[in-house]
Amino acid sequence: MATMTSSSDARRSSVATSMAGIKTHVATGLNPARISIRNLDFFYGDNRALKAIDLDLPERQVTGMIGPSGCGKSTLLRVLNRMYDLYPNQRATGKVTMDGENIIDPDLDLNSLRSRIGMVFQKPTPFPMSIYDNIAFGIKLHEKLSKSEMDERVEWSLTRSALWGEVKDRLSTSAQGLSGGQQQRLCIARTIAVRPEVILLDEPTSALDPISTLKVEELIDELKSDFTIAIVTHNMQQAARCADQVAFFYLGEMVEVASAAQLFTSPKQKRTQEYITGRFG
Amino acid sequence: MSNTPEHLVKSYSVELNKLHAMIAEMGGIVETQVAFAADAINFRDADAAGRAIDEDRRVDALEAEIEAFVVRLLALRQPMAGDLREIISSLKMTGDLERIGDYAANVAKRSIVLNQFILPFSLSGIAHMARLVQENLKMIIDAVGERDAEQAMEVWKSDQIVDDLYNTVFRELITYMMEDPRNITPCTHLLFIAKNLERIGDHATNIAETVYYAVTGEVMPDERPKGDSSAYAVVRPQA
Amino acid sequence: MSATLSSHSTLPGAIKNLNVAKALGRRRSRASTVVKALCVLATLIGLALLASILLTLIVRGFGGIGLGVFTEVTKPPGSNGGLLNAIVGSLIQTVIGVAIGTPVGLLVGTYLAEYARGSTLGNAVRFVSDVLLSAPSILIGLFIYQLVVAPFGGFSGIAGCIALAVIVIPIVVRTTEDMLSLIPVAMREAAMALGAPKWKMIVQVCYRAAKDGIVTGVLLAVARVAGETAPLLFTSLGNLNWSLSLTKPMASLPVTIYQYAGSAFDDWVQLAWVGALLITFGVLAINILARVVLRGGK
Repeated sequence: MATMTSSSDARRSSVATSMAGIKTHVATGLNPARISIRNLDFFYGDNRALKAIDLDLPERQVTGMIGPSGCGKSTLLRVLNRMYDLYPNQRATGKVTMDGENIIDPDLDLNSLRSRIGMVFQKPTPFPMSIYDNIAFGIKLHEKLSKSEMDERVEWSLTRSALWGEVKDRLSTSAQGLSGGQQQRLCIARTIAVRPEVILLDEPTSALDPISTLKVEELIDELKSDFTIAIVTHNMQQAARCADQVAFFYLGEMVEVASAAQLFTSPKQKRTQEYITGRFG
Repeated sequence: MSNTPEHLVKSYSVELNKLHAMIAEMGGIVETQVAFAADAINFRDADAAGRAIDEDRRVDALEAEIEAFVVRLLALRQPMAGDLREIISSLKMTGDLERIGDYAANVAKRSIVLNQFILPFSLSGIAHMARLVQENLKMIIDAVGERDAEQAMEVWKSDQIVDDLYNTVFRELITYMMEDPRNITPCTHLLFIAKNLERIGDHATNIAETVYYAVTGEVMPDERPKGDSSAYAVVRPQA
Repeated sequence: MSATLSSHSTLPGAIKNLNVAKALGRRRSRASTVVKALCVLATLIGLALLASILLTLIVRGFGGIGLGVFTEVTKPPGSNGGLLNAIVGSLIQTVIGVAIGTPVGLLVGTYLAEYARGSTLGNAVRFVSDVLLSAPSILIGLFIYQLVVAPFGGFSGIAGCIALAVIVIPIVVRTTEDMLSLIPVAMREAAMALGAPKWKMIVQVCYRAAKDGIVTGVLLAVARVAGETAPLLFTSLGNLNWSLSLTKPMASLPVTIYQYAGSAFDDWVQLAWVGALLITFGVLAINILARVVLRGGK
């Protein structure tokens, strides 16, 4: 007869494991929340544009917000720095906490809130002044700096937004002479010059060409070492490239939130799957 | 996944369906290839062996075609979520199917050699293995077609029996070789045939894991104990 | 060719008949020629009128231009008078009128654009301002006569300035509001998002962005009031003597033209043509300046 020794070895299908490998790696990598949104409702007049949103923005990481037009993702961003206060008949209820403070408290000092939570908009909006003054404008609102301190801060923010090399010889020329991509990076520089803790980006590259878009995305990646970032985008590949965490919104509801790798490979909700694979409606 | 609505871009849906059809076609060819190979051993059918070997060219061509198509889809469509899983899985499955085809062709070639020998023992173990492997292969190819994760799980579990059977056949063949050195040549071929059948079973389980992932987005939940222990087997003549 | 193409297409209806399309095209191009001819004709008539005005002014006025026009004040007929007091009076009243009217107009325009958008009060103010914009200027003269001239005992330069200011205000209001409204919402929001209070946003960002438009508006207002006669008749009256006092009647070019043009003395009529020439080219220069400013900003 014969005797036999045996042991077991694990052998698995390599694609499934490697794709899942990416997933678990990122899934465990979310930092504690910098901003906590709880049961947030938002109204344009009688129209309920956000419905019971619960979402955490992890500190020094990027949260991407995706969804079809009118789904409420931009509205949510505008709640976070109280942009909606500029307009009558818009109100929010619920809790949005940062450092124990409720951001949507009507008594909050908005100017100081906005110095802590900066925002960059869809279209580049350089102010009609020099590049230097564009950066200095925001700083002067909140701090009294000497000329040399101001110079230093302007250089820092332009360097940080990867624009210094391109504009250092023309700081006193009009910012409106810059290219679209440079203007948008200037707007980011202007925002970080105030040294906020959180940066909100509302479709920051939708008006830019692909190369400028990549530069802004690289910048976002750089900035997340210092800032907590939320980005609204219509471009799912962009959310996939930039975000650590992605939230999908539909009709004012947050349908699903997960790590980018999880959401874009194996979303849990059917509506998410249908939206990101282009089977909506 | 099969009940999701059509893609908003019709041509994308058409391409995804085409990919699915190509995989199904490749699965069908490989299935017949394995069937021919099994007939070649079981019935010493040289004609079937020849057809199993001939089909390999079609399988290889189809694999190349599917690979190129997948690369095209990835580059042009930037698939996400379920589509991404399905396309990546197709790439993976076409590789597994191609290997299965190779093993079937190899089995067929060896069966031609075996036909020159008169075997003093029955091939019932190998025939049993071939039957089980064919059943698993059919099941998994159906599961691919139906995108059926449950059935994929069944196949995945049942590969254990193939592995156990292989260990038995392995010991049996070594015993025959020890009994009579003239058996060494046919038994060596038979060992390779058994090993090839066992590998076909393994690739079927790979496909099962791939289908399960493509459909559910999750990796199969638990580790299956690995059955092929022949690598560690020591068979000694009894005193 | 077209038949094979359309046999593959899913377009509804019969196959396109190219002959019908050609006939329609010919009819359209004939209509286009007629309309174009009418437009050109109307433009030529307008240009001819303008050219004849300018030509008449130059022919009649240019001969009378001499150093004396700018160095001598108005004098009795036949004594080689000039237009010095009228020119200086016009400059003073225009400058002061614009200086009073511009800040008021600017603030009202800012109120309308930034603070009162859509509000009832804002709409009312805008309506009143638009009415004022198109009100006959003689009414404004009468209004200031009742408000300033009658109670304070007499015609005065300052009354003329105020009358002109009232004309300037609605023009500046309109241009300021229009120019501020053109500033993209995104730019305002960007300033607010940096934590700027609203007034800083308006003063440091919006005014800068609207600067060219507002300056153009002010220059157009200057051009408008420089040629006004009616409101000055009831306010600064005109003065044949040299006077820089704002509390006394003050001369101005339009009023002087009005007085001289109808007179029986050839040298006065000649001076009236010169004055008209000066005003026309002054206004033309300001208009050109406004365009240059507007274009320079782009």
